[in-house]
Amino acid sequence: MTEELRRPRYELVDVKPGFVIIEKEMYTQAARAYFSSEPSPPKEPYREGSQVWGFWETAQALRFAVKDTATGEVTRFDELLGLMFYGACDPSSDLYQIGDLAQDNKISIYVAITYEAPDGSRVNIPMDKIRLLNRLYNERIRSANKKILILPDLFGLYRELTYGQIMLDFGLTAMDGPAPAGQQGEGA
Amino acid sequence: MKLQEIADKLELSGLTPVFDKDVTGVYISDMVSDIIANAKAGNLLVTVQVHANALAAANLVDVTAIVLAQGKQPAEDVLRMAAKHEIAIFTTALNRWQVATKLYEIGLR
Repeated sequence: MTEELRRPRYELVDVKPGFVIIEKEMYTQAARAYFSSEPSPPKEPYREGSQVWGFWETAQALRFAVKDTATGEVTRFDELLGLMFYGACDPSSDLYQIGDLAQDNKISIYVAITYEAPDGSRVNIPMDKIRLLNRLYNERIRSANKKILILPDLFGLYRELTYGQIMLDFGLTAMDGPAPAGQQGEGA
Repeated sequence: MKLQEIADKLELSGLTPVFDKDVTGVYISDMVSDIIANAKAGNLLVTVQVHANALAAANLVDVTAIVLAQGKQPAEDVLRMAAKHEIAIFTTALNRWQVATKLYEIGLR
């Protein structure tokens, strides 16, 4: 097979390094996140209706698009907060157990976690985009029989996961293992 | 180059089983987002990052193995997960620069 034939069809393009900024509401302790290309988020608390939001934590992250080199079509993934590996879940959780079974068949499961919508729900990520992510990563795999399966958050994981479970770069706490529970996001 | 050959030449300490895989290049990074965006399938990942999410990123892009520099040791659950995903993890007292130069010396580019 020639190098030309091996060239992946899908490419990461327009990769922008930046920061996932996590804010916490002072009274309810609700958390929400947004992407910023600026390293210094506003540190002063601000009022939004009856709520008071303040800076809590930041993680380095990327924002990107995927280009289909066959058609030239570029698809942005601005709604994607990050991927979560099944193995980051509690072993008693449904996702972990499904992932563990799937891995017996060399299928590694990840869940696409999106940013919060203004009403507290999650921004929807279309299934076509999920399919595109799966094509992007699977076409690069060299290990025999290995597959990546990226799922939308069909499990409602966003209600219970911590930001530390998502594949993001959380400061220096990421260097020595999982951050203590008190330093992770809650109800991401 | 075969993974076992590299492990032998650099005298790496295996923390998991060593799988019969080829290494096609090297990527050095301690950032999960960087690994996801830039590491290639078949790469040997050299890092000091022992967080489980580094393994998750390595698995996503299908790196062959992880070399933990400066004697870093991940938690047991990370090692178990790596073995299940057939990603070998090694540790070495060398720092990342020393690992990189030795990999270059044995012919990895």
